[in-house]
Parts: sequence; C-alpha cells; structure tokens
Amino acid sequence: MSDKPGTGTDRRDFLLKLGTGAGIAAITVQAGASMRSLVPNVSYDSPTTVKLGPTSEFPEGLKFLPDERLFVFRDGNTFHAVSAVCTHLGCTVHAEPLANPQTVDDDGAAVKLTHRFLCPCHGSRYRGDGANVSGPAPKPLAWFRLSLAPDDGQLVVDLADAVEHDFRLTVG
Amino acid sequence: MRLPTLLRTKPEAPGVHAEPFWSFRPQSDREAGDAIVSNFALHWFPAKISKASMAWNYSFWLGTISAALFFLTILSGLPLLFLYVPSIERAYQSVKDIEFVITFGSWIRAVHRISAHLMVIVVALHLVRVFLTGAYKNGVGRGQQREINWVIGVVMFLATLFLSFTGYLLPWDQLAFWAVTVGTNIASSIPMIGPGVRELLIGGRNIDQATLIRFYVLHVVFLPGLLGVLFAYHMWRVRKDGGLARADADAESVLESSRATEVVPTKTYTLLGVARGTAPTVTTRTLEAANTTVNAVPDLTRRALIATLGTIAVVSIMSVFIASPLEEPANALITPNPAKAPWYFLWLQEIVTDTTIRIGSFTLNGAFVGGVILPGLLVGLMTFWPWIDRSTHLAAGVWLPRDRRRQNLVFLLVVLFVLALTYVGMELRGPYWNFYWPWEPWPDIPGRI
Repeated sequence: MSDKPGTGTDRRDFLLKLGTGAGIAAITVQAGASMRSLVPNVSYDSPTTVKLGPTSEFPEGLKFLPDERLFVFRDGNTFHAVSAVCTHLGCTVHAEPLANPQTVDDDGAAVKLTHRFLCPCHGSRYRGDGANVSGPAPKPLAWFRLSLAPDDGQLVVDLADAVEHDFRLTVG
Repeated sequence: MRLPTLLRTKPEAPGVHAEPFWSFRPQSDREAGDAIVSNFALHWFPAKISKASMAWNYSFWLGTISAALFFLTILSGLPLLFLYVPSIERAYQSVKDIEFVITFGSWIRAVHRISAHLMVIVVALHLVRVFLTGAYKNGVGRGQQREINWVIGVVMFLATLFLSFTGYLLPWDQLAFWAVTVGTNIASSIPMIGPGVRELLIGGRNIDQATLIRFYVLHVVFLPGLLGVLFAYHMWRVRKDGGLARADADAESVLESSRATEVVPTKTYTLLGVARGTAPTVTTRTLEAANTTVNAVPDLTRRALIATLGTIAVVSIMSVFIASPLEEPANALITPNPAKAPWYFLWLQEIVTDTTIRIGSFTLNGAFVGGVILPGLLVGLMTFWPWIDRSTHLAAGVWLPRDRRRQNLVFLLVVLFVLALTYVGMELRGPYWNFYWPWEPWPDIPGRI
C-alpha cells in the first residue's frame, strides 16, 4: 500500500466509495421499488356514473340510496341529488324529517327543506340542502349532477361531478 | 503467585463454562455470574443490580409487565394466525368461528384482546412513571444517554397504539369498518399530500380487500417486528445507561453525603469473584456501597418472573370472564349511531369533533387540527421533552422532585385532560354524538333510514 497522493490510497478510496455508493443505491432502489409497488395503478373501485333506476321509482320528497351513499330529492318533476358522505370524516349522515318543512332561497333557486342531516360519528348537522349548520363539518354536503340515461331513460348520477346548489334536473 | 481457589479447581479457560446449564439458585458468585454470561435469555441483565431500583414502589415493574403483555399477544396471536383469514369475504366468518366454533378459540381471542388493551394501559402508565420520576434524565454515570431511550419509548408507545388499532380492524365488523373510514380520513385531511397518503394506506379509493390486507400485514409482521427490535434496543440501552435512573439517585446521595467512600474491590477476573475476594481484584473508590447491590440471579430474575407470571395469571383469568365483542359484519351502507372509536382513541374523536376552526369564510377542518396537528404537537413535545427539561441531574430517578414540580404538574394536567376527554367520549356521548349525562336515557332512534 502506498500513501503517496495520486496512487494506491486514491484507488482504494475510490473503490470503497464506489462499493458503498453502489450498496446504498441498490438498497434505495429496492426500497423505492417496494414502496412503489404498493401504489395502485388500476382502480377496481365501482364506477362513478351509476344508473339509479327509472324516475317513476322515486317518490315525492327524499329517497336514500345506500349503495351510492346518496339522497335523491324529487319535487314534482325536478330532481336533485345530495351526497350522504359527511365532509368532516366521511361517515354516512342520517336524514331526519322536519315537522315543518320550509322553503329557502339557495344560490338563486328555491329549495324545499323537508329534512335535516345528522352525522353519527362526530355530531355534524346539515340543513336539508346540505349546508353545514353546526358540529365539526367544514363544508356543505356535495351535490352531484343528475341526468337521464340516453338508452332507457333511467336517472343517472355522476358521483365525480359536484354541482352548484341551483342545479335541478327537470324531467319533461 | 498462588492461584485463587476457583481457578485451581476449575482450570478451563476464561469464558468457557463447564456447566451445561445455569443455576437459578447459584451456590457461588461464579455460578451467579455464569447464570448471566452463559444464558442467552438473561444476557441483557447486569451481573449485579442496585436494590433500590428493584423496589416495587419505584417502577411498579411497568416495563416488565408491558413486555410480558407483548409476549402474551404474540403467544396468543400464533394460533390466531392459523385460524384467521384476511379476506373481506371471510374475515368476519373466521373470527366468528374462532369465537363460537373452535375449541378454546374464544379464550385465545380474549387473551389476545385483553393483553392488547392492558398493554396500551400499562405502556401508558410506564410512560407516566418515567416522566414523573425524571427517569429520562442522566445521573452521575459516564456516557449515559437516557434521552435516546425515552425517544425509543415514545416510538414504542405509538407502535403499541398502531398495533391495537390495526388489530381492531381485522374482524371486519361494523366497528372495524368505520374506524378505518374515520382513521384514514384523518390522514386524508392533511393538505396537499393527505389524499395520496390515504390512498397508500387503504390501497385504493375505497375501503376494500386491499385495505384489509395492508392492515393485516402491518399488524402481524411490520409493527410487531418494529416493536420487537425497539424492545431489544430499549433493554440494551437501560444497561448501557447504568440501569434505572433510581440507581443514579442512590449514587448521588452518596456523593452529597459527607461520609467518605471506602476503597472497595470492583474489578476481578471472574465476574462476581469480587464479593468473596476469591479472584485477583482491582480496587478503587466506588459510589456503590457493597450492601446496596445484589446479584441479578436470582434477585432480579425472581422478581421479573413474579411480574411475568402474575401478568399471565391475571390475563388468563380475565379472559375466562370477559368476552370479546363482535359487531355486525362490516356494512359500508350503514354507519352505526353513535360510531365510537376504540377507547384509547376516544379522546382524539372528541378533539376532532371540537376543533373545526372558522375564521370568516375560511374553515380549517377539525380532522386536520384535532387529528393531525394537535396530536402531532403533543407527540413532538413529548419526544423532545428531555432536551427542554432544565432541571438538574439530582432530579433523575426521584418521584415528584421539587425541581420538576411545575413540569410534572403540567404533564399530569395534560394526562388528566386526555382521561377526561376519554370519559366524555366513552360515557357521555350518545346518538349523533350528542351529549347525554349518564342518568339521561338515549332517545330511541331507528338504526336504519
């Protein structure tokens, strides 16, 4: 072994660093690859656009659809859909009918408030149009776009498409 | 030079032990030393231990009891590994089989569950004891780094909580499903990275098979492995730091007193030959008076065994009488009302309920404030407390010293606050998380809409 600069020490030093670096790189890449394998590439979740059934199956007032965690409201021939997923931590809110329904103006469209929503997990409360009233909920319940299926005329909800509170689907 | 008796009668090389096994009732110091040195299970014990640090009313042996409970969860977990099926279609049924069909199944499950619950309690009490006695502080020994062991202890406490939480989910009943929903939504409330973290935790966007298998692997491989490694290091550090801080408190009292310490033999060529002078020794001044220490075998091992056997007995008997609950199968369609977290997380459930902050039109979700920021601050503060604590080394290993009165008071208030919130969550919250006094009946609310 030579201690002279530029000779053996450098080569040994270089090889040591190369070996250490290669080891660290290998472990890092392995760890990275292992972690990446846990991030799903394909979602097998149920589709967000769901047929809810023919409009005739929806009574006047409210219908709860547990599979979609959705409330569908019907007022004559207009429909709108409000999410049942609490905006605080994602529990399903329960609907409680009001003794005295009232009509309020919401985003320029009249809404008949027939129910209020209560969350069983942390006590959030929402008005019938989804507005958060008390409890920890940080924002109103989402409204989703409704449409009619072109093929069989069933009511269709798009759970990925949140809409404003003046949205109404009017069925002719 | 005449060789000492011991070496003449047993002429083998140092470190080579003629006895095939070690004695629990050592007849000589050599045997007492061998019991430690030649025994794999005992090698983390010192050969001699200070009497004071073994007192029942100093440590209450909470660390040993925690370890015994961890051992029990592993022991009872092994048969469960054969019986439980981590699939969302079959998990519930397999737990139901364990509970109602398999011989001794319900008892094994109860042992597993009760040791886990007790482990959360005892580990928490251990943490409280270590804080109140300032046992994370260094005393008079050289090279002590008790702060490191405190930080490891905090991580072990968190690992214990996560072990309990992940185990809670495995039956895939209603309790499990909604606990994962709420738990992972707390992660999701972190700005920017939250939704990504949740997706990684549950392996998709909805709680499904990928979620169950992730929590299962965390529960049976990752977290117990982590806890096992940390436990070994925790024990090793206790030795490296010169035993419990109580031993330092003793040494300090010798230092403080005016009486001079005598020159005593401390080093020898057999581990415990020092006491009888049967081996060549090196003499020096020491802070340990001869009558303040005893041989670890059998004095320490006896007490450790008593604590362990007592724990096993208590858990085994409790498990006969306390049945483990199993709710309805997980149902994504119905949230139970009220939906309560396991008791050790109820204080968090209470905090996330009360901490949504509204300033004008700006709203900060209580899930983030109460579920991430506040617990994060608490854990951070706890982790770095040894470096914030400015009391002198005399406060190490002493119950409620004057020096640390204020910080102990604040700590106890925080503990009391957490306990009070837990009580509110446990007893005073009814349907829709409304507040009810214990004597108020809950209203009759239909379970389904």
